Formats: sequence, C-alpha cells, structure tokens
Amino acid sequence: MRASSGATLEARGIVKRFGSVLAVDGVDLALEPGEIHALCGENGAGKSTLARIAAGILAPTAGEVVARGAVGLVHQHFELVDRLRVWENVVLGREPRRGLRLDASAARERVRSLGAAYGLDVDPDAVVETLPVGVAQRVEILRELARDPATLVLDEPTAVLAPAEIDALFATLRALAARGTSIAVITHKLAEVVAHADRVTVMRSGRVVLRAATGDTSIEAIAHAMVGADIPALAQRVEVAARPAFAARGLCAGDGAHALRDVSFAVGRGEIVGIAGVEGNGQSALTDAIAGMSTYEGELVLDGQPLRGTPAARIAAGVRVIPQDRRREALVLPWSIAENAALGDHARAPLRRGWTIDRSARDALATQIVDRFDVRAPSIRTPLAALSGGNQQKVVVGRALGHAPALLVAYQPTRGIDVGAAALVQSRLIEARNGGAAVLLISFELDEVQALADRILVLYRGAVAAEFVRGHFDRARIGALMAGAA
Amino acid sequence: MSRAQRWILGGLLVAVAAGVIALAGASPLAGFAALVRGALGGERQISETLVQTTALLFPALAVAFAFRAGLFNIGAEGQLIVGGLFAGVAGSALPGPGFVTIPLILAAGAAGGGAWGAIAGALRARFGGSEVIATLMLNIVAALLANYLVAGPLHPAGVAGAETAPLPVSSWLPVLLPGTRLTIALVIALALAAGLAFVFARTVFGYTLRAAGEAPQAAARAGIDLRRTALVAMSLSGAIAGLGGATLVAGVLHRFNVALSPGYGFIAIAVALVGGLDPVRIVAAAFAFGILQSGSLSMQALAHVPKDAVAFVEGLAIVGLSARRIAASAARAD
Repeated sequence: MRASSGATLEARGIVKRFGSVLAVDGVDLALEPGEIHALCGENGAGKSTLARIAAGILAPTAGEVVARGAVGLVHQHFELVDRLRVWENVVLGREPRRGLRLDASAARERVRSLGAAYGLDVDPDAVVETLPVGVAQRVEILRELARDPATLVLDEPTAVLAPAEIDALFATLRALAARGTSIAVITHKLAEVVAHADRVTVMRSGRVVLRAATGDTSIEAIAHAMVGADIPALAQRVEVAARPAFAARGLCAGDGAHALRDVSFAVGRGEIVGIAGVEGNGQSALTDAIAGMSTYEGELVLDGQPLRGTPAARIAAGVRVIPQDRRREALVLPWSIAENAALGDHARAPLRRGWTIDRSARDALATQIVDRFDVRAPSIRTPLAALSGGNQQKVVVGRALGHAPALLVAYQPTRGIDVGAAALVQSRLIEARNGGAAVLLISFELDEVQALADRILVLYRGAVAAEFVRGHFDRARIGALMAGAA
Repeated sequence: MSRAQRWILGGLLVAVAAGVIALAGASPLAGFAALVRGALGGERQISETLVQTTALLFPALAVAFAFRAGLFNIGAEGQLIVGGLFAGVAGSALPGPGFVTIPLILAAGAAGGGAWGAIAGALRARFGGSEVIATLMLNIVAALLANYLVAGPLHPAGVAGAETAPLPVSSWLPVLLPGTRLTIALVIALALAAGLAFVFARTVFGYTLRAAGEAPQAAARAGIDLRRTALVAMSLSGAIAGLGGATLVAGVLHRFNVALSPGYGFIAIAVALVGGLDPVRIVAAAFAFGILQSGSLSMQALAHVPKDAVAFVEGLAIVGLSARRIAASAARAD
C-alpha cells in the first residue's frame, strides 16, 4: 500500500496492548519529508512504544504502519557495543566485504564521509566505551544514517546532552531534514520542542490529545495537554538569612573518568545549591561521599561537626539523601508504603521502641507522607511496586523530608516522573529550604537547577568550573561550561 | 513463586512420584496408600512422623532465616552435623541433672552450628565470597571432619564405632509420649518458629534483615550494615541448624555419629521454599515432608517401593524450587 500524500511514514489506528495494559490506543501519525516532528508526553504515555512500532521493532496489536523507505531508531539508552570501535559499530550487520574479509578501510571511509556530510565528527577508530555520551550518541545516529533511512526517530535524544550539544544535535537534524528525511524526536523538554520542531503531537494515556504546528502553540498549551491539567505553580521562596551549615573541603572521591577532584563548596541553611552538569561528571561520587557510601579524601563538615563514618552515622547527624535510582537505592518495592516509610529511621525513636518497631508510629509517619505529598494509593498497606514512578518518588522525598533534615541531598529528584509530581517535589524542596534546611540539588536538567537554586555550581570532569548566584544565572555561559568550555 | 506455579509443581511431582512407583513395579495407588498408612496409621506412626517433622523443622527455619536476609544457606546439613558433634561431645562429658545439662547441650549445639555458619558469613562479609559455594563445600568438610574427630582424636575408649560415648540418661530430652521417640524437641521447634515469625514481623532486627534481603542497595543507604547483617544472619542460621543437630543427639540417637542426619539439611531447603520462607507455613511444610520421610519406610516394606523413590521426588522438588533462587543469588554476586 502507498502512503498518502508525501509522508515517509504513516501510522494508522495503531493499538498496542501489553497484557492488560493498553500502551497505545488508536493513534494516527504521519511524518512528512523535511520536517522535524516532536512527539511529547509523560512517562507511560505511549511515545516510546509508538516509536518502536514505527521502526518495526514491535508489532502493533491492531492498525498498520506504512513506510516509504527505511526507518531508523536512535534509542534512549544507546544500543552500541561498548568494546568495539566506532566504525565497527556503524557497519555492524552490514559489513562491507572484500572477498571473505571485512573491508575495514571501506568501513572507515564510510564513517568519515557520513560524518562529513552531516557534521557528525567522530574518530572512526575510537573505542565506544571511551567516548563521552554526546559523542556516543553521534555514533548511534551515524549507524542509523548508514542505512540511509527516509525516516529517523530519536527517543529522548537530549536527555544526556549539555545545552551546547543539544543545539548541535538539532542543527544536524535540521540539515538532515533539509535533505528530505523525516525526523521524529521524542522528548519531554518542551523548550526544545518550541525552539526546534515544526510540528508537535502530544500523547496522553496512549491517545493523541494535541496536534499543532509549533508556531501556533505554546509551552503552556503543550504542558497542559501532556498533563491534562494546569501545572501547579512552584512554591514561593522566602528570604532566609543563610547561615553556614554544610561544607566540603578538598573532596576527592570515586575513580576513573567519573571521579571528583578537589571539590570545595558550602551550602547554607535556607539555601538551595544546585549542581549543574552533564551526567558522568562526578555527581554520583559526590552523592556517595556525602551519604557515606564510599571512601573519599577531604573533609565534610555539618553544623560545625565533622561529618564522617557509616551511612547510619550520617543519617543520625541529620543528612538525608534522595538517591538517583529510587527503585534500587531508595525503596523496597515489594513492601508497603508503611514499611518503606520506616526505612532509614527504623533504628531510632520514635519508630524504634526497645527491640521492636512501633507500628502505630510507623503508620502515622506513612499517613503523614501520603497526606502531605499527595501520594495516590489505596492505602498505606499498598506495596510500592504497585505505585506509579511519580508516587514512588513522592514517598522517597516525603520520607527524606519527614524529619526536618539538616542537609538534604537531592540527586535527580524528578527523574522519570510526571510533570505534576515533579512540580510537587520541587515545591517541597523549596519549602524545606524556606524552613531552614541546607539543600544540595544535583540534576542533569539545567531548567530544574535554574528554577530551584539560590546558587549554581557547574560540575565538569569532577571539578567545579564556575559558580553563579541567583539573579545572575547566565544560561548560555552555564551551558557552555557544562560542555567543557574554559 | 506464584500460587499457580506452586500447584503446577506439586502436581508434576505427584505425577513423577506415581511414575517412579510404577517403574519400581508397584501400583502407585498401593504405594501411596502404604505411605499414608505408614506415616499416619496410628499413634506410633504419627509420633514418628512428628519426630521427622521436628528434625526437618530446625534446618528449614535455619534456611529460611538466612534466605530472608538474602543469603542462600545450603549448608544447614553441615551446620546441623557440627552442632550435633558439639552436643555429643558436651553431652557425653557433662555429668549432672538434666535441667542443667540439657540446656548446656543445646547451647553447645547452637554454638557449633553457629560457628560453622559464621565461616561462610565471614567469607561473604569480608571478601564478598558466595555463601552458596562456601556453605555447599562446608557440608562436605563438616561430615568428614566430624567423622574423623569421633573416629580419631575424640574417640572414646570402650566405644566400638566412630561415635561419641552415649549420653547419660539424665541428659536425654524428656519424651512427650511415653513409648515413642517424640520429645520436647518438637515444642522447642514450634516455639522457635513462633519466635522467628515475631522477629521478622515486629522487631527492628528482623526489619533490617528483610531490608538487606529484599533491597540490599536501599538497605545500605538507609544505614544498614550489609556485611554485619551477612555475618549475623549466617551465624544465627547456623545456630538454628546446630540446635536441631543437638536435639537429634539428645533426643533421638543419644550419642553423636555422622549417621545423625539422612540429609535433613538438604530436604530442609525444599521445606523452607514450600513454606514460602514464612515460619508458620514452614511448620506445615515440615509436617508434609515428615509424612514422606516416615511413610517411605513402610512403603518400602509394604508395597515394595524402594524408599529412594521418595528421596528422588524430594530431590526433584529441591531442584525445581531452588533453581530460580540460585540464579537470583548468582546474578547478585556478579
């Protein structure tokens, strides 16, 4: 069957069911040559599933996909062979041959000419695992381009990129589109959509809820369509006279490319210090050092006392950490909300009573978290595994803030959660700051850091590259520093 | 394992058992009937079934205890033997009234089993070594070492076999039913099951064990010391198995030799898994396996089905139930 009009890819009435879950529920989508089409929606809205159906990786339960030419899919989590070289990855499965032998020089030349044609500059002989994420993504895009696709779909391509790299990526995509390729970009970063896309399709709960040319719509309208409601405004920040609370001096931690090298900074009570940086620049080492999860050199001080010892000692000193990976690092998924509420505070009053856990105190704590953080669950006996990511994260944040921490480390606190839940979490962080907590916000999303922080430290290759004070945030400069500008 | 999977596995095992009995040249129905009659056919049979239940219950609780902390202790057999050795040596040497010696004998058994479990716990805590491999190997070491000790250095004068001297009658566990081998060991085991259920459900200690078992990374970030947890859990698991060994010495054999256990520590893995690692349900599972243990002898005598048929089916149950656990444990060790 031919695609109608000039579309390179047309999906009609796509339905995809996983067991009892309806992931995609009757979606039509046409991608025109020469356009950049943004596909937006919250986690679980069905975007990635639709992309995989469009690329032919998944078969739809109902409906049909008509494609003119090949469809390339650049995955959110790169699907590269880390130990192989760039050119080996690019030609994998379609290796040029000379007789029975692999024609390596032809393959290298192919990578070079593709890179030159699209402005994707990569050393063909570099081993993939040594490449920074931005470059690894170029390899992934090159691999798809080597198949000369009529349609290129990119799943959350900007999630791991610094702002300058994002601009470069979209410049490349625009050049591709100009040659007649259809581009679809799945993203939840709405500023990018408005800045770079021609058209936008918004999905919610498996259905299309908005189609528009980006010139005819706005960030607010797209966000409203994604969430199905207005985004609550963030909590107001109150002027607090910040007084010194936490300090790191000469901190060296971790090893290899992701190590932290001689980092010093302070966080005052009543202050949010934001760590801006691309993933893999020492954020995990910093979090683990403060949490007591790793060995390190240097000195940590909290309220005039040296902060040292086991994670339990840090917790006792008033440190609470919201870890990056809530499912593995923060929660016991088979357990109820009530049992999870106790984790970390189980060994001290009021939850501990002699040898046993005081179940009424524990349940009261869980109820308080559920009420204050609007956790949507049938009861505090509901297992965490049955909650959405956003509601799981509300439990994690609620638990961390439950005991008025002296220092709160929030590492990617809104990662992978819906917009409404993210706004609530961000507001609670501001309120904790207003209430006199020292808050260290570590996020890969510059928008989030800018919205919340009183000061921003840019972390690049394990060192603090620069500091910015609220009111003097220079987005372009911060973005450049995140990408390594001197 | 889901309820449905459990039923499927159970049905498969019954079918395989019927097949094995048929292969042995007997009627499966007659075989099953002989088994049930042998296990539950009268006061003597029931009491013997309860003796087997008790012998399985201690190591099954030991396995479950370690499991809840995320540790796959397949060394309950070795811990039971070392506990029995300690109890036999202490019991044959200690004079005095039973109310003094019996607690000391049981404590010696728990200490011996606990020390044996602590070896694997320490290897895991110190070097991150797999407790699966360590406990498996320590089973063999325990059996050979114990046999060597009672045959050699600790061999008492005037005793023929490789065993300790008999315990004085005053140190035997009191019998519950006169004329049977059923002793207060059953009461101790049931109390232990109830105690463990309480520990898991209500105590801070049980909470930390379960957290370490279910989500080790989250537990570590919540201030739970995983190394210490591994050492403590393996030690206490071994102590429970060792206590079981001591009750066999003081309640059944009245001496120690390595024939103490026909593999209770291995069958216990299946008992613990069938019981869903829940102490109360493990009591029921131990009773079911106790029926198999004691009924298999009469099946052999009455229906001429070798009692190995039961061992065969039990072995299948262990493999079927533990394969996934071993895979999960191996994945964690990576």
